[in-house]
Amino acid sequence: MSGSLLAPGAVLALWTLIMFGWVAATRFPALAKAGIDLKKAPPGGRGADLEGLLPRETNWKSHNYTHLLEQPTIFYAVIVFLHLSGGNTELTRSLAWAYVALRIVHSVWQATVNRIPVRFALFLLSTLCLLALSVLAVIATLG
Amino acid sequence: METNAILGPVATLALWSMVMWLWMYATRIPAMQRAKIDAKNLVGTTGRGLDDVLPAEVQWKAHNYNHLMEQPTVFYAVALALAIGGMGGGLNAQIAWAYVGLRILHSIIQATVNRVMWRFGIFALASLALIALCLHAFIGFVLH
Repeated sequence: MSGSLLAPGAVLALWTLIMFGWVAATRFPALAKAGIDLKKAPPGGRGADLEGLLPRETNWKSHNYTHLLEQPTIFYAVIVFLHLSGGNTELTRSLAWAYVALRIVHSVWQATVNRIPVRFALFLLSTLCLLALSVLAVIATLG
Repeated sequence: METNAILGPVATLALWSMVMWLWMYATRIPAMQRAKIDAKNLVGTTGRGLDDVLPAEVQWKAHNYNHLMEQPTVFYAVALALAIGGMGGGLNAQIAWAYVGLRILHSIIQATVNRVMWRFGIFALASLALIALCLHAFIGFVLH
């Protein structure tokens, strides 16, 4: 396994696009089943307009893809800060890998079963990892 | 430095996002005046609420500005990682330029004609470019 702190970032970026593939792979069949012809769709339609039109389980994949473009953007910034300021340690690498692993489990959960208490617990745990990384990044950059 | 060539498309897309920000307000503020919305008395509303009151064409600029704050954040992260890892030159820089060119085209389509299939086609192509960059980062940082 790589000793780079950037490796978990690369994995999460790739995972985000795998979720994008999952969105596309489920959305198009669902659109066809719902009798929605994109070629005749009014201009300006967006994914968010499909709430209530497609089955909930289909939109869950999209909810998670969007979710991956929210908090993880801070994660990318923080690991780059740590990498550039000598903060690549066993501890920060472990926290970063834990964050990425928890986010992948969170994705699979939100895209499939999606019971809220479990999703929330996964999100909370991953956020705690990010919180610790953020504190370490402040220490590494100020110090 | 050659391995930093990828920072060119990074800077370009960041600047383009600001151009879309300008386009959004250059059309939104006149449209709010036409719709007789008194911004001085608004409390707690967000841009999303304007979907119900402003013309769709005006909101399309905002939709695209928001869109530029989504997937490109992964692009910035991966491009910076590649540059730091000495992989930001050559083919990766060219793929990054392709991503940025496609995103600019995507912006113009969404802000003007906004035909969904055209928009989706360009977005899919841009995403393929980003997938290639992600794979290169994965190979470089995880497998090596």
